[in-house]
Amino acid sequence: MDIFARAHLSRIAALALASASFLAVTAAEAKEITIWCWDPNFNVAIMKEAGARYTKTHPDVTFNVVDFAKTDVEQKLQTGLASGTADALPDIVLIEDYGAQKYLQSFPGAFAALSGTVDYSGFAPYKVEVMTVDGQVYGMPFDSGVTGLYYRKDYLEQAGFKPEDMQSLTWDRFIEIGQQVEAKTGKKMIGLDPNDAGLVRIIMQSAGQWYFDKEGKANITGNPALKAAVETVGKIMSANIYKPANGWSDWVGTFTSGDVASVVTGVWITGTVKAQPDQAGKWGVAPIPALSIEGATHASNLGGSSWYVLESSAEKAEAIDFLNEIYGKDIDFYQKILQDRGAVGSLLAARSGAAYEAADPFFGGEKVWQNFSDWLAKVPSVNYGIFTNEADLAVTAQLPALTQGTPVDEALKAIDAEVAGHIQ
Amino acid sequence: MRTSTANIASAILTYGFVGLMAFLSVFPFIWMALGATNSSIDIIKGRLAPGEALATNIANFFTLVNVPLVFWNSAKVTIFATVLTLAVSSLAGYGFEIFRSRHRERLYRAMLLTLMIPFAALMIPLFIMMGKMGLINTHIAVVLPTIGSAFIVFYFRQSTKAFPSELRDAAKVDGLKEWQIFLYIYVPVMRSTYAAAFIIVFMTAWNNYLWPLIVLQSNETKTITLVISSLASAYYPDYGVVMVGTILATLPTLAVFFFMQRQFVQGMLGSVK
Repeated sequence: MDIFARAHLSRIAALALASASFLAVTAAEAKEITIWCWDPNFNVAIMKEAGARYTKTHPDVTFNVVDFAKTDVEQKLQTGLASGTADALPDIVLIEDYGAQKYLQSFPGAFAALSGTVDYSGFAPYKVEVMTVDGQVYGMPFDSGVTGLYYRKDYLEQAGFKPEDMQSLTWDRFIEIGQQVEAKTGKKMIGLDPNDAGLVRIIMQSAGQWYFDKEGKANITGNPALKAAVETVGKIMSANIYKPANGWSDWVGTFTSGDVASVVTGVWITGTVKAQPDQAGKWGVAPIPALSIEGATHASNLGGSSWYVLESSAEKAEAIDFLNEIYGKDIDFYQKILQDRGAVGSLLAARSGAAYEAADPFFGGEKVWQNFSDWLAKVPSVNYGIFTNEADLAVTAQLPALTQGTPVDEALKAIDAEVAGHIQ
Repeated sequence: MRTSTANIASAILTYGFVGLMAFLSVFPFIWMALGATNSSIDIIKGRLAPGEALATNIANFFTLVNVPLVFWNSAKVTIFATVLTLAVSSLAGYGFEIFRSRHRERLYRAMLLTLMIPFAALMIPLFIMMGKMGLINTHIAVVLPTIGSAFIVFYFRQSTKAFPSELRDAAKVDGLKEWQIFLYIYVPVMRSTYAAAFIIVFMTAWNNYLWPLIVLQSNETKTITLVISSLASAYYPDYGVVMVGTILATLPTLAVFFFMQRQFVQGMLGSVK
């Protein structure tokens, strides 16, 4: 009896002790930040790295990075915001820059303003412009699509051009060179997907203009940069110095297979270019050609995305602090994601790190990352507005007509009419 | 002589047409199987021969994806959806055909009208409902809206028209209750209908994409369709890995189809007796 009671007592004591420690654990309960993004090898992996770094100094904060397809993230975000069901939303979400204004303006108050917390003067100005509404800045700038002219040194040398000849080109000169490259090597100058307006967007933004002006009004018929961009693409097509591509994979194939002499696109293509070891040493990178109009530059952007904190998030303060500590300040983090994932962030100070300083043997020892970092700071700021994707479709619809001799002004009028239909 | 040339010509036309159709439906499968053995770059280049990357692709798929968990999620959702849909919708179809009432046809037509509303229009209200019930990010939320399937009710009602009323009368004379008639007479007799409906519901549930996408929020609850979608939409998708995933995702549907096909035929024979 006595023994039984004692055993009983010790069991109760153990139980009390166990529940006490259990309670203690709950009191120091870890805060979990949920993040939605879309590419397991890119932004998902990068966010996991960022989270691991933050958890090292803040052991009470953990991260749950959920990956969906990009269109799926948009669909879920749209549904969650439209239904007003706050617990259905993550704490941080990745949004493509072209679509950012649409979410910020359609759902005012849904995203946390970070002005005052984040020092935006350290970032590429055009990335900050993307996430600014009425003077308030939302979001943390992430990957950049700063553009470059990747060219095959070997093909151009055969055609009689040295790397010096590829610097500070105009688009007219680019087309001339393309004609000579084809005459002497039989290779086309550039791969072009007629159903993708990417090149038009690159050329237009390089001259500081967009489909929309700073107030968000359509800027099509009176837009000299858009006109010149459409003309340039038309000239490339009628000079027949391009290899037509059908869709993204086909377009990538034009240069991985060695069929074209150059690529004009965002810096994120570098990994794909370098994935062909047999082409090592044969590539060079120059600034993109410029238009011959007022405000023309050799710097532009294609694509890119940024992180946004949801206002409804229960861990809002931690989420903002996390983004600010890692993406806003950690130079070493930017070296790591450049090395491991080929990601070029938007923090200008990142260029002082070892990875950005390194010369790349694949590009014949050029310091390509320093160059890209130079161009990053010079990308003209534009307002991507709400209907970039719709305007893009209107442009691609007009491209074939241009090669058949339709005057550019008429094509612009048709584009304008279609875009106006969306804005009303 | 003339007839034989005409026969040959028509045979060529028939086989040509059938061959073309067979090619159109089988080619994607062949491409998928070949793709799984090639590296992503070879697939983009359009290689149509077996390659050596199968082991790498499978290994990559298994490191990128928590395969047992994802398949367990898909299986759970599909099995519950299938069993519950068949139970509820066949009862409804039976009821609609057997029991007469003044409002029967009006109700039935109203139900059929819901077939014309696209799911995208129902999505947000449905999402709000699930949110209010606290079911977001649960598999219950995936299954619930699929159970009352207007199409399957319609299908069962149409098939019940062929259910001999004498059987029901005889069962009643023998003293069976209504639920006993359904369970012991109707279900066995309608085996073939159940088999066909099973295939339809199983495939829809297994391939269901939009609703699980909206309602599931974490890596731990995701189904196979969501996982493949996210793999395929990376900036540089590894198509070899995507093909491995697609093949694995197709297998259960394929297995069910072949297995149920035999059941289907047996059921047909059984119901004649």
